[in-house]
Amino acid sequence: MPLHDVSYKHYDGARLGVWRRRAAIAKNGLTACLQIRWMTIPVVLCWSLGLVAAVILFLVGQLLVPDSAMSQWVSTFVSPTLQQFASLLITWLKNHPDISVKTTQSVLFYYLGLWLMRISIFALGPIIPLLITRDLACNAIVIYSSKAVTRGDYLLGKFATAFGFLALTWLGPVCAAWFLGNLLAPDWSFFWHARFALGNILICGFSSMTVLSALALGVSAFSPNEKSTTAFWYIWWILGAVITPIALHTQPWLRLLGFGFNLNQIALYTFRVGENITRAKDNIPVLGTMLGRIRPETMAALDTPHLGGAIAALLIMVIGAAWIVHKRVKPE
Amino acid sequence: MSAQLVIETQALSKVFGNQKALDAVSLAVAPGAIGLLGPNGAGKTTFIKCLLQLQPVSSGSAKLLGREVGAEGREIRKRVGYTPELDCHIPGMAGCEYVTYCAQLCGLPFQAARQRTHEMLDFVGMGQERYRKIDTYSTGMKQRLKLAQAIVHDPEIVFLDEPANGLDPKGQAQILELVQNLWRAYGITVVLSSHMLHDVEQICEQIIIIARGRVLVHDSLANLKASRRGAAEVVVAGRHEDLQAACARRRWPCELLPSGHLKVAHGSQSLNPLLNLLHEIKLAPLEIIPSPNALEETFLQALEISHATA
Repeated sequence: MPLHDVSYKHYDGARLGVWRRRAAIAKNGLTACLQIRWMTIPVVLCWSLGLVAAVILFLVGQLLVPDSAMSQWVSTFVSPTLQQFASLLITWLKNHPDISVKTTQSVLFYYLGLWLMRISIFALGPIIPLLITRDLACNAIVIYSSKAVTRGDYLLGKFATAFGFLALTWLGPVCAAWFLGNLLAPDWSFFWHARFALGNILICGFSSMTVLSALALGVSAFSPNEKSTTAFWYIWWILGAVITPIALHTQPWLRLLGFGFNLNQIALYTFRVGENITRAKDNIPVLGTMLGRIRPETMAALDTPHLGGAIAALLIMVIGAAWIVHKRVKPE
Repeated sequence: MSAQLVIETQALSKVFGNQKALDAVSLAVAPGAIGLLGPNGAGKTTFIKCLLQLQPVSSGSAKLLGREVGAEGREIRKRVGYTPELDCHIPGMAGCEYVTYCAQLCGLPFQAARQRTHEMLDFVGMGQERYRKIDTYSTGMKQRLKLAQAIVHDPEIVFLDEPANGLDPKGQAQILELVQNLWRAYGITVVLSSHMLHDVEQICEQIIIIARGRVLVHDSLANLKASRRGAAEVVVAGRHEDLQAACARRRWPCELLPSGHLKVAHGSQSLNPLLNLLHEIKLAPLEIIPSPNALEETFLQALEISHATA
């Protein structure tokens, strides 16, 4: 016999609004994602890369401080070529801080974002089934549908799960690197000069994460089989990456089938990577020699991203994903 | 009057392909313990799902708790609980996590949700197993958990779809007792969908019998039990002719059945006129079997309709 009261009690407390219910779905999803045992590895890796970027920005900033350990180390231990590069960089930074900070940070954050995107896409693989697949397999959709949430609320919650995870592994580390790097810079004006880089980070990050989250939902709703959806995600990503260099010499439009290529085109356009590299090459002669080794076709690709094609392809992919979700996510 | 009704439907229909799962169902149901009775495939689950918007309605209209189904789905479901027939648990979650999550989906803040979860799990009789993963639960535990998630947000009406399925007799009795208490002790309207006449008869006050998507009867259990055709089977050791002659004098149709029993249509709800007749002709019956009451008879009729369709 229980020692405490086990009778039914009516509830007369507060009831939260629909956004809190959506947030509950997102929080529950994120918790489940982070409970995957090895998921800490990509998360830690992403934040470590962000930290590395912040350290690079800190070290570059230290070059501007005449008596800093960094500038002494460069003048004492580093090869004459690198010393020359450092002095030119310093001159450029001092003379044109608005352009130089913007250029260096845009290039740095583009590459950081690119790597974090790759890690995030990889880490999304085992998370895909947790979004919708598992709910389809175990009929949990019925439970959601019988509660005070609509199908739209459910999908928003699941979308927020994917978006939240990407924010953790992608946008979070990049923004943290930007903030930390500029916080540790020798001058507060770095924050002002780096505002465009931050704007690019946010535009590129939010648009890409929105697209990726929508695609992840579509793939997740594709089948109630967990292995199938994960496999589909990886195959689509890897196939896209494999096709890209081959298609360049055969049917260039085939590259648009890979979402990774399309997202990269948006990033290239947003960060103006080609333009920034050219500017750096023109202002720092040593760097110009180094960057001169970049193959012309690579430079052309950096210079002229296929923005229109990429946006159209991503739009079609997102519409396809929405159609799959619409067809599959029903109580019965 | 309308404000007091929990379920109101007007010609509610649901069609799957060329099959009518619900055929113009019109009902006005007052609060209470309501039994939705019918054979498998009669349309009980479809009826509940249409009310909860888990299935789109083909035609007709429905109101639940005075609100229009379809227009105010989210608001309605905030006040409604549902235990589906099939398992719909989220794998990988512990029982108490799952119920807490369900409470949050109905708008309870996390702390309140957690507290109520433990209260409800106590109420349904779940012990320490609430901390185990749902995947490891027995059928009985899963049924209890389903009930807990349906009532954790303190609904005004709970739809229970075959809640005693797959349970042993003891487990069935425990679950039905809990369900019975929901209305009798705590005033929560219960709609119990079952194909088991005994379960429904045990705890419900109102009965709706459905067959082939049509409502055959909707009345109180008391009325249905009291109402029966004025007929009885009389088992006698001999002197069939005497009884038949006495019945003929009173103009009561009397028929000798192949079993040797005499079926007498005495036309009364009570057996007293028949007993008086037997007393008059000094015939001691071995047994008198009254005709089934309206509940049993309509349920049998529903079964026959279902078999005929099959």
